[in-house]
Order: sequence, then C-alpha cells, then structure tokens
Amino acid sequence: MGGTMNAQWIRNDGRPRVVITGLGAITPHGQGVEAAWRGVVGGRSTIGPITRFDARSFPVRFAAEAPDPGLSEELPEGLSPLAQDLKGRLSVAAAREALNQARLPAKMGRRLGVCVGSEAARPELSLVAARLRSGELPSQSELERMAPHAASRLVAGMAGALGPQSTVSTACTSSSQAIGEGLLRIRRGEADAMLVGGVDVLVDPIMVVGFAKLGALSTRNEDPTRASRPFDLHRDGFVLGEGAGFLVIETLEHAMRRAAPILAELSGFGCSCNAWRITDSPPDGRGAAQSMELALRDAGLEAEDIGYVNAHGTSTPMNDTSEARGILRALGDHGSRVPVSSTKSTTGHLVAACGAVEAIFCVNAVRDGVLPPSAHIEHPDPTCPLTLVRDEAQRVDLRHALTNAFGFGGSNGSLVISRMEA
Amino acid sequence: MEVAVTAVGVLCAAGANPQSLLERLEEGKTALRSHPPLAALPGGDLAGVVEKLDLDRVLLRKKDKKLLARPSALALAAAGGLVARWPGDRAELGLFLGVGREPPDDGESEATLAGAARAGELDEDLLAGPGRDLYPPLLPLKTLPNMALAHISINLGLMGENGAWAGFEGAGLMALRAGIRAVAEGRSPAVLAGAAESQVDLGSARDRLRAGASGPPGEAAALLLLEPLDVALDRGAEVLGTLSACSVEDVGVQSDISEILGDCGAANSVLRVVLALMRGESTVVVAADPGLPPLAVAVRPGLPC
Repeated sequence: MGGTMNAQWIRNDGRPRVVITGLGAITPHGQGVEAAWRGVVGGRSTIGPITRFDARSFPVRFAAEAPDPGLSEELPEGLSPLAQDLKGRLSVAAAREALNQARLPAKMGRRLGVCVGSEAARPELSLVAARLRSGELPSQSELERMAPHAASRLVAGMAGALGPQSTVSTACTSSSQAIGEGLLRIRRGEADAMLVGGVDVLVDPIMVVGFAKLGALSTRNEDPTRASRPFDLHRDGFVLGEGAGFLVIETLEHAMRRAAPILAELSGFGCSCNAWRITDSPPDGRGAAQSMELALRDAGLEAEDIGYVNAHGTSTPMNDTSEARGILRALGDHGSRVPVSSTKSTTGHLVAACGAVEAIFCVNAVRDGVLPPSAHIEHPDPTCPLTLVRDEAQRVDLRHALTNAFGFGGSNGSLVISRMEA
Repeated sequence: MEVAVTAVGVLCAAGANPQSLLERLEEGKTALRSHPPLAALPGGDLAGVVEKLDLDRVLLRKKDKKLLARPSALALAAAGGLVARWPGDRAELGLFLGVGREPPDDGESEATLAGAARAGELDEDLLAGPGRDLYPPLLPLKTLPNMALAHISINLGLMGENGAWAGFEGAGLMALRAGIRAVAEGRSPAVLAGAAESQVDLGSARDRLRAGASGPPGEAAALLLLEPLDVALDRGAEVLGTLSACSVEDVGVQSDISEILGDCGAANSVLRVVLALMRGESTVVVAADPGLPPLAVAVRPGLPC
C-alpha cells in the first residue's frame, strides 16, 4: 500500500499493528453481537430444554441452542448447497454482520483472506436414517456440505475473498487458533485483512449421547438454567451450545487509510499443547500457562498489564481447576488479583466457535470498560483461588483482556485484545 | 532464515521409511493390494493399506491404543522416529499437521446406530436407551480431527506452537507452510510438520466414490523435522534439503504417487515433498483443493550453495 508511513502503524518490534474492525455473532443469546453482549453482561442464562429433537429419554435433556437465522441473502453461484444446514446459515449470518460493520472495500480479492475454526460437519440424523433404510450413498450436495472446509469456502465466497484460506480443526481451540493464524498472516503481509472466526452445531442426538457417555456434560436436568457454573464447587460438566462468531481484522494502516471504525487491537496470540492426556487437563495447568505466557510475550505485555481474563471455564471439574492453576502460573501474583469470568456460564460451550465468540466479548469489554460476570457461582471452588467476577458485571478501566480456549486432546490458544488508544 | 529438513518420517503402503517409497516408485511396482472391507464397492477392493503399524515403541500407555483412530496411529508411528533426531527440549518442539477430513470411526458407531434402529428408521428413544449402551464412551474424542496432533503431543512430549488443518490435499501443504514459517520467524526452535490421513475404511471409500474420485483409496503419514539451517549445520545434523513457502507461479514437475499408494488425502502433497527431497529434485510442490486458492512449497534438496 502506497502513501506516507505513520509510525503509529508499526509496533515497537517492527511488525504491523493489527486491529479489529468488524464483529458478527449468533449465539444462544440471539442474533447479533449486541444481543449476545447484553445477555452475557446481564448474566442471563440461555440454557433450556433441547428442542432440536425429542430428548425426553436422554440422560441430558438441555442445551444452549442458537436461533436459526434462516438465509436472507442470495449467495454467489455454487455456494447455496453449503448453506443448506444450520451450520452454514449460522456462518453466513455471523460473517455478514462482521463484514457489514467493517465495510471493507469492494474487490479486495487476494488481499482478503479467510480462516475458520470448524470441525467437519456430521450428517443430520434424518440423513443417517435414510441411509439405514435404503443403503443409499450420500448426495453430492451433502458431501460438499460435510467437507471439512465447507464453512471457509462459504464465507470466503460471500466476502469475495481470494487470499489465503484455511480451516483449523483443533476442537474447542479451533476458532482461537483461526484468529491467531489470521493475525500471523496479516503481520507477514499475506493479506491486508482477514475474516476469521468459527462455527459449531453440536446439539444433535448422537453428540448428546456421546458426550454424556463420556461424562463431560452436566446432568443437572432439574435446574438447567444454572447448570453451567464455571469455578463453582458443585459444577458437574459443560453444557453443549451452538453458534458462530466472526471478526474482521486488518492492519492498522489499512484501517486508518480507509477511515474504518476501529473497535480494538488484536495484540497477541499464543498456543501450546498439554502433552498430558486425551481426556484430562494437567493438574498443574502447564500447557494453559504456556499458551498465556506466549500470548503476553507476543503482545509485548507484562502480566500486570492484563485487566481481565475471559476464561475457557467450561464448568467441568477438571478444566476449571487446571485453568485456574494455569492462570496463577502464567500471571504470578497478579493471577490471583486479576478479574476472571467465564461467559460459558450463560452461553454454554460453543466448542469450535467459543474462541471467536469470547474474543468478541473481550472486544466489547475493552470498548465499554465492562466485565461480564460468571453466573451461577454459589460456592466458589477453593481449588480455583481467583478473583471471580460474580453475579453482576463490573465497570473498570480496561486496557488489555486475555481470552483462553482449550481443546479436547490438549490444544490451547490464548489471545490478547487491547483497547485502541488514540 | 533458511529452513532445513533434517529428518523425514513416512508410513505408507510402500513401507515405513522414505527409501521404500522411493524404491517402489522407481521400480514402478504398485503397493496397492486387495482390501476385503471394500469388496462390496463398485470401484473394486484395491487400496494402499499400511500393513505393519508398530506403536509399542511410542505409546506411553498401551490401553490408549483403543483411542487411536487410524490417522492418529499412522501419525504417531511416523513421528516416533523423528523426535529422536531432535537433540533439544521436546517441550519446545512445534507440531503442525494436515489432518484432512474427520477421522473414520472404524465402524464403531454402527453398533449404536443398529441398536437404535426400528424398522430401518433411527428411533431417538432407542438411541437414548439401548443405542447409548452400545456407544463406545470415548468415540467422540477418537474422531476429532485434532486427535493425531494430540496423540503425538501426549506420547512424545511436544508442547510447542501447533495447529491442525482440515481439507483435502491442500491441508498437508497448509501445515507444512505453517511449520516452515514458525521456524523461519523464530517462534519455534524446530517443528514436526506434515500430514496423516486414512481413506481405506468402507465409509471413507464410499464417500470418495460418491464424490467422483477415481483410483483406489490409500492411507499415509508423512512428517518432516524442520529447523533453522544454521542451527542444523552447527549441530552437525544431516540436511536433506531446505523448504520455503512460496507462490504457485513456478510449478515444478509433480510426482504421481496415487497409482502406487492410492489416494492418501492430506498426506499426498507432503509425500510429494518427501519424494523430491529423496530424488534430489529442486521443485515447487503445489496442492489445490476444489474451490480454494492453490498452495505451494519450494523444495531444494541438499545443502544450499
């Protein structure tokens, strides 16, 4: 990009500053980022009886379902089959909101890339039943929809993005790492802007059976609205959720030259593996700590600079204790003082989409100076000695927020979101 | 910074090392063989199947074997020999994998589905009852796309920067390019990068046919140990060549390995990189998945001038 350079566009380490100029989300709180933000700030639970199928005989009968936004726009040729299922429609709606807010120039072509965190789609039960009945093969459009990169193809097509395109599949860390990959690609000049985020739809009979059998889900059927209670002594598992979150990120230079609305700075990313076990988190929180430390180093910040941690906080007994220890290990003494909350207490666990949606909450937290609460903590778990934001949102002067996402199998991702200083 | 390849781990129908792959290709002898689970398919039962898969050397807990989907087992076996070649702290090693599509469940969910069927229809009450009892409790974890990465990390002690990319052939080069850049940009002192995928189960083979794929299915894992060239030379490591992430403008000659090994999905492109290194061919390996921009990696065998 030509024109006069501005020293403000470059970090002290010589790399370009990357900012966030568009947000889009569909969560169990409703359609749109502001609906989600109002919901988490108000500590309003979205968890209720499963309506997607008849779950009365299931061991877990509740979830955090997202509204189906339908499909309100005409998609470019060849993309419609990819938007025929809920996952596709959630992707389109959330990506469209982010693109509309960012108002990127038309025809960015190769200078606009896409990175989506997503698992491969699973066939709907009606399709499985049809195959059981007839032994028929999946249709071509079903295969396209279930392709691992279907969501990234879909949103790239609607954005007109011809730049780098990829699909990160690291379970619950997927969209956090997708944002991190977008950040790295922009810093190294592969694109001026990236549409990054994630999507997941797991409220399906086989997934409910599978995760319940694994013992990972809360079974608080008698009180579902309060079932997701991260860091509470009596937490008993996570609550399956669904949704999508997308962000438009770009260099500060690109944003300022086109006078774009700058919402926050994406200042750091770190990731690690636990090297521990498939089903368990390490009791000492070491992999989580390494991820947070790398994100801080990447942002050029000290632990004391962080004013809020949006925890992965799944509400499983093992994750929350491991994460608390990881926070204390990574942030030292500051780790026990910094305000921490888990917005999964109201949204449930959006799995591959959670990293993006929770990054969006951090953007709004630094924008508004408001920390969303961790709802439903009645008895704080003494193995999680953190300063928890409980029950009500807090007003603070917030410059830097850290958000974590940790996945099954031990993939970790952490992002630092910073207030955009004039 | 130049990025060197100092070790290669390959597991494919041609054998358990890159030399056997090269020999097969040069002899023009196919490694495809009859694979009875595919006998009912109209495409025939030929497949590129890995015959011997020894995990005892690398698996910390033998009981975890039941958690390994086929791509995870292939990836772990291929990675085992590589980390032994890295003299540094394994916890700092990065890990970048192309994982293709969701791993097959080896038919494990079929008992659940059969137990939940009433007159050929899935019945939700049966699924929640007898079907649930038949459902393997760890199946959701076995078939997550990032499990190959997880098993390598757990069993070999890798804790560094990481990523798992889904897709088709392009996913392998995506991972390789990410690994090259993690080393070149100084974020990781060294990385394992490559891909693993298996398409020889009945479900995957059926989906390939329906999607119009020609040729037999295959399976493979191909991983490379990447580190800064100057570090490799300082420690006296054997340098097999250097790699760089490049544009697709200068496409080199592409080896066709599918006739020998079958279609190994995400591992196809990484196997082509390995072959170029083994043959001493300077080339640019390209992968282009349907609907996605093509990706390229430049391969320069041996030491740079």
